[in-house]
Amino acid sequence: MNPILVLGAGPAGLSAAAETAALGAPTILVERESYLGGNPKRWHYSLLAPDLRPSDEVLGPLIAKVEGNPNVTLRRSTTVSRAERLERGYRVTLTTGAAQETQEVSAVVLATGFDHFDSHRKFEYGYGRYPDVLDFKELEGMIHDDKVLRPSDGKPPRRIAWILCVGSRDLQVGNPWCCRMGCAVSIKQAVEIRQKHPEIDAYVYYMDIRTYGLWEDLYWKSMQEYGVKFIRGRIGQVTLAEGGSRLLATGEDTILRRPTEVPFDMIVLASGMEPGTGTKEAAALFGVPVGPEGFLTPTLSDLNPVDSGLPGVFLAGAATGPKAIPDSVTEGMGAALRAYQYARR
Amino acid sequence: MPIVEKSLVTVDRTEHLEIEGIDVSGDWNSFLRSRVQVDLDVRVLDWVRSQPQGDTISRCWQCGTCTAGCCLHTDYGLTDFNPRYFIYLAQVGYEEELRKYSSTIWRCVSCNKCVERCPKGVKVEEVVHTIGSYLEATGGAPESPADRFDRAYTENLLRRGILDEADLFRTYERGEGRTMPAREMLRMGLTLLRSGRLRTGPLAHRTRGWRRFGAVLRAKLEEDERRRRESAGAVARAGGGPR
Repeated sequence: MNPILVLGAGPAGLSAAAETAALGAPTILVERESYLGGNPKRWHYSLLAPDLRPSDEVLGPLIAKVEGNPNVTLRRSTTVSRAERLERGYRVTLTTGAAQETQEVSAVVLATGFDHFDSHRKFEYGYGRYPDVLDFKELEGMIHDDKVLRPSDGKPPRRIAWILCVGSRDLQVGNPWCCRMGCAVSIKQAVEIRQKHPEIDAYVYYMDIRTYGLWEDLYWKSMQEYGVKFIRGRIGQVTLAEGGSRLLATGEDTILRRPTEVPFDMIVLASGMEPGTGTKEAAALFGVPVGPEGFLTPTLSDLNPVDSGLPGVFLAGAATGPKAIPDSVTEGMGAALRAYQYARR
Repeated sequence: MPIVEKSLVTVDRTEHLEIEGIDVSGDWNSFLRSRVQVDLDVRVLDWVRSQPQGDTISRCWQCGTCTAGCCLHTDYGLTDFNPRYFIYLAQVGYEEELRKYSSTIWRCVSCNKCVERCPKGVKVEEVVHTIGSYLEATGGAPESPADRFDRAYTENLLRRGILDEADLFRTYERGEGRTMPAREMLRMGLTLLRSGRLRTGPLAHRTRGWRRFGAVLRAKLEEDERRRRESAGAVARAGGGPR
């Protein structure tokens, strides 16, 4: 049997490759970056919502399953530059630096993932202009290293605000969808900071809190145990407060029914998820249909959530839409099974 | 517990009352007016949605981005002006509450920051004006000094096609029951008249061809007014309304 190709080594891809390998199928795991773990690794995610487990404890075992696995060929810093459909499977060209190699594969799992929304595009929030306006993936790194300090002067902040739905649910930037994890991750960050530094006040500006399903517990806990505060309203702009040392968040507290201009030491933007670069490239390469949002579209999102509709091409993880890590891991398993069935036929 | 919100208290005051030799004068029958909203009126939303400038109202999800940037708060201190809240009242149908703002709602200066920022593509400025039109067309709005000034201004302008400031000031102030400090006004007025800066009465400016143009303008204004009333009347007749 020709090997099964898994594209992308984030949670979904790692999970898919681990499962095809466990089924005994030779597997090629291709990753654009030099490391495994995808976005969580790239941005040094700290604890993962909702169980607040360190990301290394989640990704570590997944990575261990593929590294040194005799059935898995790891191809780091590699992309697929060509794909040609054969009668059964595909002939793909793998590019590593200047080196190219052609390989026949029996089935393909696209686990090409998402990119974080570029917060520069939401220019009203001053990201890139004011150093103390952070993207929440940057704060992840800070929390991970326990160095939550203002980039402008290196001092610890007294009061932090999170702005939810940055680049999500927003027609102005063309992203009408919900990123599904922004609420939970922001609340989790606030909890982490309050755990270690109860002297820092944490405020979350929200429209709706979407800690769906069992994640609601995190939302409740954040208020009841960690005193995180929630203000219902979307921030309209961030400017410098008088004196220029603090940030001024202008919004409406819709429950107070008045506009508010509140100074903060740090403002964190919960940037949403967009179809990843790799996802767009894979869509073009294999001819997978994409929806109006730019994510890959499974044939039936309920019955065939991992089927692309193309023979031998299967989908997993955030390539088909914003997704949390547990869901991505599950889809990786599903796609692995479907790919294995196809390859064995 | 003391009642803090005095405006909600109505009082029967008895100045001198003595029963069987005991003085019982004072406040009687004090009670709170109900704060409970007892009905919802879908006519507002139906009408606003039916207007070409108002149909984006149904996109609004009440995030408050519009009010956050509204310059009526920041630059003009008009704290009663809250576009997000107006839209909410109209969406849900709190008609009575909305009517309290029937004068304030016209204060929008159309800077359009709200439209620029709205994440849902609500044309906030147009929608708010449309809600105002509804309130105006369906009447019952308490007239404010600003409304009366607007009317005096329009009538003044329609007479000659150019404003006669002295006459506008005189008419409006008189209508409000105020008198002007005659001596000071006279001194300023005479100076202005002499310099030719102010022309009023027989000396007032005229607009060439105003008789014809003014007639067209008047007819157009009357037609607009008629249409607005018809449209609002049609909505009222078509049912909907409180149910």
